[in-house]
Amino acid sequence: MRHPWLRRLLDFHGLLFLFFVYAPIIIVVVYSFNSHPVNMMVWKDFTFDWYLSIFGNPTKLNEQTLYVESTDQLLAAVKNSLLVASTTTAFSTIVGTATALAVYRHHFRLKPFYQGLLFMPMVMPDIVLGIALLVFFVNFGIKLGLFSIIIGHCTFLISYVFVVVSARLAGMDDTLEQASADLGANPWITFRRVTLPQILPGIVGGALLAFIISMDDLVITYFIAGVDSTTLPVFIYGMLRRGVKPEINAIATLMLVFSFVIASLGLYFRKRT
Amino acid sequence: MTGAAPEPIAEVREAVKRFPAPEGGVVTALDNISLEVQQGQFATLLGPSGCGKTTLLRTISGFEDLDSGEVRIGGIPVTGVPPYRRPVNTVFQNYALFPHLPVSGNVGYGLEVAGVQRSERDRRVGEALERVGLSGFHRRKPAQLSGGQQQRVALARAIINQPKLLLLDEPLSALDRNLRQSMQLELKSLQHDLGICFLFVTHDQEEALTMSDQVIVLNQGKIEQVGPPEVLYHRPATRFVAEFIGDGALFHGKIQNTDADPVLVTEDGLRIAVGTGPGVGDSATLIIRPEHLSIAPEDPDDSMGVLDAVLEQMVFKGATRQYVCRLANGAAISATPPEASEEAFIRVRPGEPVRLAYRRSKPHLIVETN
Ligand SMILES: Nc1ncnc2c1ncn2[C@@H]1O[C@H](COP(=O)(O)OP(=O)(O)OP(=O)(O)O)[C@@H](O)[C@H]1O
Ligand SMILES: [Mg+2]
Repeated sequence: MRHPWLRRLLDFHGLLFLFFVYAPIIIVVVYSFNSHPVNMMVWKDFTFDWYLSIFGNPTKLNEQTLYVESTDQLLAAVKNSLLVASTTTAFSTIVGTATALAVYRHHFRLKPFYQGLLFMPMVMPDIVLGIALLVFFVNFGIKLGLFSIIIGHCTFLISYVFVVVSARLAGMDDTLEQASADLGANPWITFRRVTLPQILPGIVGGALLAFIISMDDLVITYFIAGVDSTTLPVFIYGMLRRGVKPEINAIATLMLVFSFVIASLGLYFRKRT
Repeated sequence: MTGAAPEPIAEVREAVKRFPAPEGGVVTALDNISLEVQQGQFATLLGPSGCGKTTLLRTISGFEDLDSGEVRIGGIPVTGVPPYRRPVNTVFQNYALFPHLPVSGNVGYGLEVAGVQRSERDRRVGEALERVGLSGFHRRKPAQLSGGQQQRVALARAIINQPKLLLLDEPLSALDRNLRQSMQLELKSLQHDLGICFLFVTHDQEEALTMSDQVIVLNQGKIEQVGPPEVLYHRPATRFVAEFIGDGALFHGKIQNTDADPVLVTEDGLRIAVGTGPGVGDSATLIIRPEHLSIAPEDPDDSMGVLDAVLEQMVFKGATRQYVCRLANGAAISATPPEASEEAFIRVRPGEPVRLAYRRSKPHLIVETN
């Protein structure tokens, strides 16, 4: 570069950008260890108490401030979230992968239109999808609860899996399947021994994506969750409405760690193939 | 040999295949093709790009259905039989090795699918790899092999099931010239050792001549000629074959003069003496190959034809020299004289006139009787 100051400016811009993105997250993580019970933005001491507190362990802070009304409620929300996420992930991964395979193999009229329809739920505003699902469930007399949340999440997560697996299929050398058939493998063996290993990174990636999205979806879930089927994001949102409390920092930090683990798994699978 | 001809390994009868062309209309990829390949033969499909070679192979391996006609393998019609039940194997142009399997997994794939025991499989994989000169490469992944090595793995994978017929779709086209030439000879001797019939596709006439027992020349979905390389080279049946195979100058015209002293007169008035045989008034094409030509002696006899030309340049080709000359009608003609008669050429300077002579009986004449 000709002007060293231009380079400096660019470096500075880069740092500013990183700060802009990560500062709020770092603050949350740091203050989750802050022992100041009332004003969480004032640093007092390092403590693990908020973490203990979310899981209902008695701490000396508990006596002064009891913010989490019920650890049981929190744990129930986590359980609901995990249940919803794993069920929807399993279902949408299977259906999304099968759809991607079908669209890849068959040529039919209006195929681009059909592919467009499969993309749609990804770009549809969450609010619209949430309202539409709510109206649908109410009209058809489907009880709002975990079941309706699972169905609701599947409607758009299938699209995510479809897109990720389709991309992988498009990159696959289609003579591989022919070579397998040529060597005497019937379509089922060809699928198991050649196609599946080729698209597996796509399937795993799609599944992890679906899991993360399902885990932290708030807007759509908020519309279609029943009273006794609160998921973690909905529960946290509820907590926030009654005031920002230090435990939230701890919960957010734990969720962050969890998401990082899932994302790293995804990257690991990508790398391996 | 007496008695019935041996049963062909594969037979294509009156095959027709059309594709809808994207720009509308249809492309006739196979236009009433009939051919057979015999046990132990090295047969080659030769033709320019787009003439239907791949399509023909794919109808034999089962990836393409015919619009009409049929394919028989070992005497049995295979219409409607899926690729995985046909006793043929293919070496794909891009090799199509399974990237997630090591070399041993690739080569042993056919055996594993067929349910062959592990120990037996390992033994035969080892044998096949040894055959193609890749012992010790078992554990490598395809991405860790050179192009030539991948080629060999593809070959080992295709021969391990001992197919009746091995189809090879331009398997050498991605290799560089040196490797290609050595692979040509290796393939040929592999075919000889295995005794399997090879049906080999290429658009390279030199490759076809080097390797084949039988060459099938295709053009625009039709068969132009079938025959051993010598026959195609020395006695091409059509002008297309004459032009496609080997070097040489082609002269098209009508036969004049008597039966004893026939002359081909081209449209631009060139008179070229030809061998006996054609009738007066026949349309004909004469093919003069470079090796037919030398410098005319002082007093050429009746068995020779003479062409007046001007030497343009000498091209050094290693083993031989090629003398490029220009005829009176502006057509170029090349001579690669045998060493003994090269003396006379060396004395001619570029730009000087030269008299070229050939034995009348040598150049092949394609007669299109009217
Ligand atoms: N699936 C298809 N759809 C439409 N046209 C096709 C299809 N497959 C082949 N063709 C056409 O059929 C003709 C023969 O094709 P083919 O692939 O057999 O040629 P080829 O002799 O193998 O050529 P090359 O040497 O370039 O590989 C071509 O004109 C091609 O455009
Ligand atoms: Mg081809």
